[in-house]
Amino acid sequence: MNAITPNAPALPAPVGLLAELTHRCPLRCPYCSNPLELDRRSGELDTATWQRVLTEAAALGVLHVHLSGGEPTARNDIVEITQTCAKLGLYSNLITSGVGGALAKLDALYDVGLDHVQLSVQGVDAANAEKIGGLKNAQPQKFAFAERVTQLGLPLTLNSVIHRGNIHEVEGFIDLAVTLGAKRLEVAHTQYYGWAYVNRAALMPNKAEVDRSIRIVEAARERLKGQLVIDLVVPDYYAKYPKACAGGWGRKLMNVTPAGKVLPCHAAETIKQLEFWYVTDHSLGDIWANSPAFTAYRGTDWMQEPCRSCDRREKDWGGCRCQALALAGDAAATDPACSLSPLHAKVRDLATEEAAETPPDYTYRTIGSNVQSNVRSPLNEEAPL
Amino acid sequence: MTAPFPTPVTDETQRLLSPDELAAALRDIGARRYHNLHPFHRLLHDGKLNKDQVRAWALNRYYYQAMIPIKDAAVLARMEDAGLRRIWRQRIVDHDGDAPGDGGIERWLKLAEGVGFARDYVESTQGILSATRFSVDAYVHFVKERSLLEAIASSLTEMFSPTIISERVAGMLKNYDFITKDTLAYFDKRMTQAPRDADFALDYVQKHATTPELQRQAMAALTFKCNVLWTQLDALYFAYVAPGLIPPDAWTPGTGLVAETATAQAAGTGTLGPHDVPRLPRGVRLRHDAVRNQHVLLAPERTFDLDANAVAVLEVVDGTRSVRDIAGLLAEKFTADRTVIEADILVMLNDLATKRVLER
Repeated sequence: MNAITPNAPALPAPVGLLAELTHRCPLRCPYCSNPLELDRRSGELDTATWQRVLTEAAALGVLHVHLSGGEPTARNDIVEITQTCAKLGLYSNLITSGVGGALAKLDALYDVGLDHVQLSVQGVDAANAEKIGGLKNAQPQKFAFAERVTQLGLPLTLNSVIHRGNIHEVEGFIDLAVTLGAKRLEVAHTQYYGWAYVNRAALMPNKAEVDRSIRIVEAARERLKGQLVIDLVVPDYYAKYPKACAGGWGRKLMNVTPAGKVLPCHAAETIKQLEFWYVTDHSLGDIWANSPAFTAYRGTDWMQEPCRSCDRREKDWGGCRCQALALAGDAAATDPACSLSPLHAKVRDLATEEAAETPPDYTYRTIGSNVQSNVRSPLNEEAPL
Repeated sequence: MTAPFPTPVTDETQRLLSPDELAAALRDIGARRYHNLHPFHRLLHDGKLNKDQVRAWALNRYYYQAMIPIKDAAVLARMEDAGLRRIWRQRIVDHDGDAPGDGGIERWLKLAEGVGFARDYVESTQGILSATRFSVDAYVHFVKERSLLEAIASSLTEMFSPTIISERVAGMLKNYDFITKDTLAYFDKRMTQAPRDADFALDYVQKHATTPELQRQAMAALTFKCNVLWTQLDALYFAYVAPGLIPPDAWTPGTGLVAETATAQAAGTGTLGPHDVPRLPRGVRLRHDAVRNQHVLLAPERTFDLDANAVAVLEVVDGTRSVRDIAGLLAEKFTADRTVIEADILVMLNDLATKRVLER
C-alpha cells in the first residue's frame, strides 16, 4: 500500500521533535497544552528507549529536539537524555518552568552540551503569576533559574502565554525579558486546545486588549532591535487566516508523548478516530512515513471546500485539524479560525461574548482528574446566523 | 568595454550634431556615469546598508541639497534675460519654499530627522565628509566660472533622476523598516519638478550649443556634474562601507542623533564594523545536515539554511578573527577583492547580529 510510486512527491524529513518526557509538573497552568488525560509516571518510556528514539530522529533528519513535558527536569535522566542529543548533533532546547529541581540540574545540563533554554513565565506580578500557575513561591525560583542560565552563557528565551489574566502585563513581560538578559521573548496568545479549551471562558481576552498587545509588541521590536527578538503568536479566534498548525500536518514536526505515542501535533489525540503508533512498536521513520495518524491529513488530498480550491491551501494547510474538530465537529473541515469558514463569524462572536462575561474560576491541570467539559460550541449556539 | 557606446568622440574632429543626436549623446553620458550605477546606491536601494550607513548618506547629501539654491542663484545672476530668470528662479523656490517649513531643503531635513538625526547637527554640516564639501563646492564654482551654457548643461543630470528616485523610494520603503513614506516626501516633489526642469534645460542646450565646440563643452559640463555626484558616493563608500576609514572630523555612528535614538542604540548591540571580532555564541551552531545535504545554522527555535558563501564566512568566524581578517582570508581563498568581500560580509554579519545569533 505504501510502496513508493514514481510520481509521488518526496516526503520531506521532519525538522523538529517535541519530546514530552513526562507529564509530571509542579505547575498547574489552566492553559496547559497537554491532554486532559495525562500519562502517569509508571507508563513513561525508559532512558534507553528515549535514546533510541533520538538516534532514529537524527538519522531521519530532525535538527531540533524540544525537551518538554510537563516539566522535563522532573525526570531523573534528563542529563543523560540531553547528552545523547549533543552526541548526535541534535540541537537541544529545554522547555522548562524553572521550578522544582530545575535549577539543581542546570549546571550538569550545561556541561553535557544543552543548547538553549526556554523558560515559562506566567505573569510579571508574582501574586498574579503564582495564581495562574497554581504554585506558591514559583516566581523567585524562576528568576533565580534565569539568572543562572545567563551566568552560564546559555541563550535564554522567555515564554509568556497571554490570556485575559495577564494581557495587561505585556509591557511588563518585555521589560522582564530585558532585565533577565533573555535574547528572545515569545508573546504567545493562548491557543485553545487541551486544558486551554476547557478554560476558554476564563482565558479569552477581548479584541481591543489583543490589538493593544500587538501594538505594544510592534513598538518594542523597533525599540529593542538587536537586543531582544520578540516572537508574537496572535489568537486564532480573532485572526483572519488560521496558522499553519505545526507547520502543516506531518510536514515538519513529530511529537512523542511520555508513553511513546507519536503525534503530528500535541493536541492530535483529541481526534479520536485517528490511529497512533508507538515508538515501542515501530521505528520513528516508519511512523513518519506510514502511521495512519500522520498520513490522514498530510498534504491537501483530504481537504474539503473552501480549502480545496483555496490559494492559501499550501500556506496554512487548512489550519488546525483539532480546532476544526472541536469547533466544526469535523476534523477535515476548514479551521473555523479562518475567515473563509462558514463558522468563523460565530466563533468570533463566541469569543467576544466570553471575553465580556465575568471569568469563571480556572479548572487547574491535574493528573487523574475527570474533567467535565461544558465548553460552548458554535454548532449548538442558538444565536441567529 | 564590450558594448559600443554611441557617445561621439569629444575631440576637435567631431562634426556638429543634430539636436536629437546631441540629446542622445547627453543621455548616453548619464547611462554610463550617473550615480545610480554606483555600488553605494545599489546597496542603498537593495536594502543592504545598515541604519548608520543610510544615516551617513542622508547627512552628507544634506550639504548638496542646502547648496543647490546657492548654485542656482549663481546661475540666475548670470542670466541677462528676464524670461530666463523667471523660469530659473522656480528652482530656488522649489528648494527654499515660500515660507519656513516648506521646500526641498526642509523635506531633506525631515528625512535626516526620520533616520534619527538632530536637526541642528545636520544643519551645522560639521559631520560631513571633506570630499562631500569639496565636490559640492566645486559644482558651485563651476557654474560661476564657466559659460552660462555649461552652467545650464551641468544641471542636466535631472534628465536621469526620475529613474533613480523611483528605484530609491521603492527600494528604501521595501527594505528599511525605519524609512516611512513621510520620511521620503522629498522625492515625491522631485518626481514632477525634475523632468520639468530638465526639459527646459535640454531645450536651452540644444538651441544654444550651435557649434561642435559648444556641444563638446555641454557634454563635458554634464560629465563634470556626474562626477560631482559619483565622487560623493565614493567618499561615503570609503568611509562607511569599506574599508570603513572615517576621517577624523567626520560623523561617527552614535553621535549627532536625538537623545532617545542614541540611548536605544547604546543599549543594543549596535552595528558591527570591520575591526569587530564576531563570534557565534553558545546555542548557535554551524552544522552539516547530511539528510538534506546542506549546511545549516542552528539557533534558538530556528534554523537558517546557508548558501556556500555564508558557510565560507561562518566557518572562519572563530571569536578571534576580526571582520577584516575574515575578509582577507576569503579574498585570498577566492582571489577576490577584499574590500568588496568585507562590505558583503558586514551586511550578512550585521543581519545575523540583529537576529541575536551572532555577537562580538
